[in-house]
Amino acid sequence: MNEFQWLLKGRCYKLGHDVPHPGGVIPNWLIAGRYLDPKDLVPHLFEETDPGFHTRCKPGDIIVTGRNFGMGPKMNGYIAMQALGLGLVCESMPFLAYRAAIGCGVRVLTDCVNVTEMCETGDELEIDFRDGFFINHTKDIRREYPPMPDTLMEIVELGGNAGWLKDWQEKRRAGAA
Amino acid sequence: MGMTAAEKILARTSGKSAVKAGDIVYPKPDFVMIHDGVVRGAKEELDALGIGRVFDPERVLMVTDHDVVYVNDRAAARGAFNREAAKAWGVKHFFDAGRGGHGHIFPTERGWVLPGTLYFDNDRHCTNAGGIGALAIRMGTEINRVLATGTNWTLVPKSVKLTIRGKLQPGVFARDLGFVIGKNLAPGGDFGVDIDYRVLEFAGELDQFSLAARVSLCSTPTEMRAIGVFFPPSPEIVEYAKQRAQRPFTPVYPDADARYDAEVELDVGSLKPQVALPGGPHKAADLASVAGTPVSHTYIGSCGSGMYEDLEIAASILKGKKLAYGVRMIVVPGSEDSTRRMTREGLLDIFHDAGAMVIPAGCGPCASGRTGLIDSGETSISTAVANGAGRFGAKDAQLYLGSPATVAASAVTGRITDPREFLPA
Repeated sequence: MNEFQWLLKGRCYKLGHDVPHPGGVIPNWLIAGRYLDPKDLVPHLFEETDPGFHTRCKPGDIIVTGRNFGMGPKMNGYIAMQALGLGLVCESMPFLAYRAAIGCGVRVLTDCVNVTEMCETGDELEIDFRDGFFINHTKDIRREYPPMPDTLMEIVELGGNAGWLKDWQEKRRAGAA
Repeated sequence: MGMTAAEKILARTSGKSAVKAGDIVYPKPDFVMIHDGVVRGAKEELDALGIGRVFDPERVLMVTDHDVVYVNDRAAARGAFNREAAKAWGVKHFFDAGRGGHGHIFPTERGWVLPGTLYFDNDRHCTNAGGIGALAIRMGTEINRVLATGTNWTLVPKSVKLTIRGKLQPGVFARDLGFVIGKNLAPGGDFGVDIDYRVLEFAGELDQFSLAARVSLCSTPTEMRAIGVFFPPSPEIVEYAKQRAQRPFTPVYPDADARYDAEVELDVGSLKPQVALPGGPHKAADLASVAGTPVSHTYIGSCGSGMYEDLEIAASILKGKKLAYGVRMIVVPGSEDSTRRMTREGLLDIFHDAGAMVIPAGCGPCASGRTGLIDSGETSISTAVANGAGRFGAKDAQLYLGSPATVAASAVTGRITDPREFLPA
């Protein structure tokens, strides 16, 4: 667990305001079809706006979005982001989208006011999700945003809700033994 | 600083003297509910982790409302799975098909949901709990963590206070008001508030709203992404709860100096009967603007209008009348108790004599069109909670929403009709 990367260094991938989860993040047919396996989802992340995104992104890259990202309380797109090792920084998200991102184990910051004005796609970013520090090395901009709450970091560190439950069960078994 | 009703309920269940919006807490709910559509997912996920038990079988309610009358093999298989799951988990309060009814209606009638209660649910329409002065929080797929551990992280929500001024005119019902509240809460709406993950706390002239009216006012804000709705319970409602309480309870009321995210007012005195236009329950429009639109599919029931009083209102219009030629009506009581009461009080005969079909208690067509479907090109008016394209089947069907009175009046004439034409002056 110690090696979990809370500090990500990677390229910025910037999106605008009001990007919906169905269509904007991942095609709706994968949501409606209840595809939850990362293998099925990863090739289709941002497919409708940027086909082949998954072949160009690298672990540590940061998706930076405007307001109201990810409308629609579904998990599929966040499963793909987690599998690709991407971070997510949003000006705002509907709460259930935030909850879904945490539940899927995505490193996520929300309520980062005007963050889309601090970066462009391709900029070299450094984000520490533990304290909310944001550095844009390309533009030499530093900002501080609300960090991830400790209690939610524990969930993300364990891979999301399923990972947290697995860990809980293992500890319970070990305690009983 | 005082607390809102939601803060008080979450403080109590989190073992704290006070909490404030924005805190993350781990409340111990009074019980947990899961509906038939998601038991398999939760059970299989927990089984895969070797978690074969639930935190407290006495405090889990399994309800069957989405697929009550199995209309395909898949539904039958789901029902069979759920029965085995209930057995394996040792869940005593398992309301199988034909028992109980709608999970967001009958637990209030049976004294599970009481003033001050907190419960977790997989489904967002649990907000109906606010009608009696309780708080229920949707956990979605994370209900599995609640089933295993008895709690989950909960962000204490902000609250928006809505003060009602004036009284509804005769022939105008809570559901009409609900559509208007939805319109005002929607992005760009007159309230100018953000309702995402907020609790809509009602205040003002609330004595005019019966328990059924309060329950029906909970559904549209939910569609606008409110996490909860809250009505301070009246003495009559507290008495109603006492008569059926499954456990001791203490009603909760907001403090006078509670901090709200926003405070808005609405004068309801001049409101006329409304419909929600196809597309969403917030698309409120004066009924008069669409009066005369032909309909063939009508339906009364759902989380939005599932209490006995809703059935009574519809029956008062249908009594001694027939549905118009070419119109079908599906009546879905909120509970099996309501169905029995309909038999005793003659409502069943009224509906049957009119030509309506009364089906077993549950969600009915509103549960993604599992029963009572609509065909392409047809037009419906119903009391469903939502009317997005395809809600009851064909995606190009036109789905209007109205009060139970409006739906009944429209079924009699075969066109969207102002119920005041049928009500005593």
